[in-house]
Amino acid sequence: MSVVTKKPGDEVANLEFGRRTDEWSQCLRTIAKHRDRSAFARFFKQFAPLIKAFALSGSTLSANHADELVQEVMLKVWQKADGFNPDKASASTWVYTIARNCRTDLYRRLQKFDTPLSADDVSLDQDGEEPAAMLHQRRMRDRIHAMMNTLPADQAHILAKVYMEGKSHSEVASELDLPLGTVKSRVRLAIQKLQIQMED
Amino acid sequence: MAKFHPDLHVLTEFTAGTLPLAQSACVSLHLTYCAKCQEITEAQTAMAANLFEDLEPANVSDSQLDIVMSRLDEDAPLTYPKTPRDDASSTPAVLQRLMHGDFSDLTWKKITSALRISYLSTGDPYYEFALYHIKAGGVIPEHTHRGSEMTLVLEGGFSDSEGTYHAGDFLFRESGDVHSPAALAHEDCICLAVLDAPLKFTRLRHRWMNPFLQLKAS
Ligand SMILES: [Zn+2]
Repeated sequence: MSVVTKKPGDEVANLEFGRRTDEWSQCLRTIAKHRDRSAFARFFKQFAPLIKAFALSGSTLSANHADELVQEVMLKVWQKADGFNPDKASASTWVYTIARNCRTDLYRRLQKFDTPLSADDVSLDQDGEEPAAMLHQRRMRDRIHAMMNTLPADQAHILAKVYMEGKSHSEVASELDLPLGTVKSRVRLAIQKLQIQMED
Repeated sequence: MAKFHPDLHVLTEFTAGTLPLAQSACVSLHLTYCAKCQEITEAQTAMAANLFEDLEPANVSDSQLDIVMSRLDEDAPLTYPKTPRDDASSTPAVLQRLMHGDFSDLTWKKITSALRISYLSTGDPYYEFALYHIKAGGVIPEHTHRGSEMTLVLEGGFSDSEGTYHAGDFLFRESGDVHSPAALAHEDCICLAVLDAPLKFTRLRHRWMNPFLQLKAS
């Protein structure tokens, strides 16, 4: 539905992204509406391996904890499918957000934090029910996806460490034996590109 | 609309879920005032989701699927909708949760005639999370920061040598900054301050007015 003129390369990425998104968004809707267990099993086969990879990429979790996290996240998918709104987020963003929050809570449980706040409480609810805001978000998503494909490898590598492995900038710096300033500026460059995408 | 914002790296660690709990509560409160930072974190989340999709899938055994399928009929945990911040005067949900009520229900500790402090418990053992109530026109004596300090203005406003801050404004000061903030003349100021508390090393920190202000993290 995008009518924005784009470079040929972007168009291909968007089409591919659109297809993937629609398939799993549709699947989530089916799970929510019909409590369809076979749809849920399909969704599990697609996302459970990614959730487990995400759990393990944090590296301090044992295989048992990773399996626990997969179960917890997938149960939440089943329980919360009703709240999924494909106009606000793609299926993978929705699942990723649940996985990230569960992993953060698990880390805190393992560190024996006694807190009244869950990661859900402090994470942002995507709002903006108005069609204009939703269209804006959809466009932003498409652009981000296209942008990610053009990101230089050194920037992508650092972003993966920060977002998937959950490392702080200084941890990434010492692991890659780079000055902290270099790590920070690579993160900044990547995110500035995002902001340009957002402001277009 | 807020004029002072968390920098990109704070927002990045916030979206990655790696910012310490007390600090992430403070950033999340700023987002309830700030559409601009909300949009940045949404974009960062979408970007992270792309990285998530591209992960090398790990092997999940069929027995995992069986376990989850067998648990689908469990009762879902109770959830409550987050109260939307529909008008500017309502207290953000995260803060309501931590305060068990409103500003007037808190225990305020009097430090000077102009300053009262109320400590809230976030469960984060490394950071103190406290509300400062500065009377209109009141001044906090000059002090320096040994560690980092995040500040978010919740009501009223204050100024220091570097600027004037109003509700929603977010400040992050590193150690060594010396300043003496003063509340604006016409209105009391309530702000949230998150200080790092390296309890492992020392409980007695030489902040101004010690020993009244030992760090209270939890
Ligand atoms: Zn902001």
